[in-house]
Amino acid sequence: MKSLALILLASLPLAAGVDDSFLLRGVTVHTVSGQDIPNGSILVRDGKIIGVGAKLSAPKGIRIIEGKSMHVYPGMIDSGSEVGMIEIDSVKETTDLAELGDFNPQLRTLVAVNPSSEHIPVTRANGITAVMNLPRGGMISGQGSLMHLDGWTWEEMEILRSGAMHINFPVLTPPPSRSGDSRNVPFAEAKKDYEAKLRTLHEFFEQCRRYQKAKAAALPGFQTDLKYEAMLPVLERKLPALITAVRERTVHDAVEFAAQEHIRIILADVREPGKMLPDLKAKGIPVVLGKTLELPLNDDDPYDAPSSLPAQFYQAGVKFAFASFSASFSRNLPYQAANAVAFGLPYTEALKAVTLNAAEIWGVGDKMGSIDEGKWADLMITDGDPLEAKTQIKHLFIKGKPVDLENRHRQLYEKYLNRP
Amino acid sequence: MKKAICSLVLSVSGVMAIRAEVPSAMAITNARVVTVSGPILPRANIVMRNGLIEAVGENAPIPADAWVIEGEGLTVYPGLINGLSTLGITDSSAIGGGGGRRTGGGAGGGAATTNTGAPARGPEDRPSTTSWLRAADLVRPSDKRLETARSAGFTTSITFPTRGIFAGQGAVVNLAGNKPGQMLITSPAGQYVSLAFSGFSGYPGSLLGVFAYIRQIYIDADHYRLAKEMYARNPSGVSRPEYDRALEGVMESPRVLLPASRTVDIDRMIHFAAELKISPVLYGVPRGYTAAARIAKAGVPVLVSLKWPERRRDADPEAPETLETLQLRDEAPSTPKALAAAKVKFGFYSDGIEKPADIAKAVKRAIDAGLSDDDAIRAFTLSTAEIFGVADRLGSIEKGKIANLVVTKGNLFETNTKIQYVVIDGVKFQPVPEAAPAPTEETN
Repeated sequence: MKSLALILLASLPLAAGVDDSFLLRGVTVHTVSGQDIPNGSILVRDGKIIGVGAKLSAPKGIRIIEGKSMHVYPGMIDSGSEVGMIEIDSVKETTDLAELGDFNPQLRTLVAVNPSSEHIPVTRANGITAVMNLPRGGMISGQGSLMHLDGWTWEEMEILRSGAMHINFPVLTPPPSRSGDSRNVPFAEAKKDYEAKLRTLHEFFEQCRRYQKAKAAALPGFQTDLKYEAMLPVLERKLPALITAVRERTVHDAVEFAAQEHIRIILADVREPGKMLPDLKAKGIPVVLGKTLELPLNDDDPYDAPSSLPAQFYQAGVKFAFASFSASFSRNLPYQAANAVAFGLPYTEALKAVTLNAAEIWGVGDKMGSIDEGKWADLMITDGDPLEAKTQIKHLFIKGKPVDLENRHRQLYEKYLNRP
Repeated sequence: MKKAICSLVLSVSGVMAIRAEVPSAMAITNARVVTVSGPILPRANIVMRNGLIEAVGENAPIPADAWVIEGEGLTVYPGLINGLSTLGITDSSAIGGGGGRRTGGGAGGGAATTNTGAPARGPEDRPSTTSWLRAADLVRPSDKRLETARSAGFTTSITFPTRGIFAGQGAVVNLAGNKPGQMLITSPAGQYVSLAFSGFSGYPGSLLGVFAYIRQIYIDADHYRLAKEMYARNPSGVSRPEYDRALEGVMESPRVLLPASRTVDIDRMIHFAAELKISPVLYGVPRGYTAAARIAKAGVPVLVSLKWPERRRDADPEAPETLETLQLRDEAPSTPKALAAAKVKFGFYSDGIEKPADIAKAVKRAIDAGLSDDDAIRAFTLSTAEIFGVADRLGSIEKGKIANLVVTKGNLFETNTKIQYVVIDGVKFQPVPEAAPAPTEETN
């Protein structure tokens, strides 16, 4: 019986075609939002989940997929990625990440994404179904876009055309270089430079407000400007600003900035929250955390500082999601979460940080992030815990459609496996 | 007529009156004399003539013609020797930055270019090399820093050009004179080597390139020496060896000053010197306290920089500092004590510190870290003289030595001790008043 189910599943892509309606039954459903359902079923119609439960009866004519002993999880979301924006880092022509200039709020990331990128199938193969793609460069880099990792064009991949305004917050002094401090800029000079940058940022916001006012007045002769136009949702608090701020001082100043400008913010790549944790909790500022497997920020930090950072945020009650901030390493997202578990983060929280928390932070908690009625059928069918490296993702559905798991890594694996 | 008799007398006596027409005989009486070479004389006279010490002793007779300075309550030390400096060199193109304390990053200045300014492509272009430069040719008594150095008690400096990998040849010079030639005691005193490289603008663009280059220079020098000897024996029928001033400069240098800032540099330089069969003098060595026993075993002398590692005054007040940095800052001043305990021969150098008060403070830190007064004064005088092979002329208060003295009221190494005057070549100099502003903006 078990082998039959496997065969059925294995032949699924061919049999299913583009049909996005089915009843998946005999699986352990890890809803993330609620209790796990052993031997449960999921009913999907037109790409959306319309039923989750222990015993669902199949509506007439719907395709039934048996999946006994398999596990179903919601597809994972990388809350900061560059998948499809860099193909090969060292080949300039294949990178499309940043525009010149300090202020480029009008840029939308999704148009720069290459739907045929080799990184997309590689990333999907680990159970990641959606990514928040972020632009780099300048102070205001542009709008991040939340995208499904499936589609012939970027339009088909779109979830949120504009998910957040990415701001690289000015940094007072870069971390000391390992080659010695001989060429560091004097502090007074660095401070002046920093204050000047902060001032320009405030000034830009003021310009945006003047534009907002002039637009509201709707007098003849008003001229549309895409830069200012793009900032209006930020000023109206409809669109959050995703502010990259690594060290405590930057985090502090970014939070202060947000208060001064009355904008909604999400912090990104915080690596040294310091005393700001209670403040983040009190103000309800969510955070997107980066790699958990890397060298600590400062020489004398404990070896596990990056690994135990997520647990700190959890204990402080700050909502967070994980991000790879990368194209080729987006695939490691589940292991980032897993490593945090090894250093004190409860397992369920780790899983949430790559699914439901991410969806909620990006304002699409009603559409994705868990296995619940009314949400998209972004599902992965696995033979175990997806945060475990040895677990195989057997099948992946994005909006109810089965996705091909073939990828370049697998091709290379097979190529070298067959080497005589 | 009278004048002619005078000069006749002088030439007969065989003595050249160098300084001036002022009679040179001078005596300091009833002073406490720290001879360094022998025991401290609690109450003694020092007699000087023609820039040399004529007699020292409790009952040394005072010649009738000597100008007598009452030394009651004063202490006399041998003049301090700055073991490595650019004092006297006014041509800034010969002076690098940083004193070679840091390896790499172009710390020692001097881009990797040939003399034509083109980027060097390899060792054959002799990049960052001015090994033929002689401090002896570059020193000028008009250097404004000399007065400040004298006020700190320095009477002598081992002065080096410091720009580039092979920067040039040092000279032992007294820090006063009417003409440049009068300052010189001996030359060449050694070759100043730094590990300066500047990015990838020319060869060498990396630390390993610098080492490969230094190694190549010594291999080339060996070959060059042989070729020259062969040619000298029989020039006929042998093609002449091409003249190479870079190798000439290296071959003339009796010892080589090698930088050693990290512990690994100390070990590396000791091995490197042994491999190249050169006489090394390590300079810098803020981490000497970690390797004193190994330095002693290798028998390598050391010049300790008085510029103890400190937090930059313009540093970010909130920037995290590593434990390693804090530890080094704390323990570096214990290097002299550790070297003294291990019986390493060491001297001090100012490494760009100019103000007498700052130098006194730096020495005080070494003493607070456990260095004895005796070891400190020896390091500043006789040890440095021994390192540079001039202990027969300098470094202690003995008959026949050059009359270089520091006269103080109180212990030289107490911070509130005032230097009364210094004597250089038998000539007395008053220190400049404390309030005087730094006379030069040179940083080294």
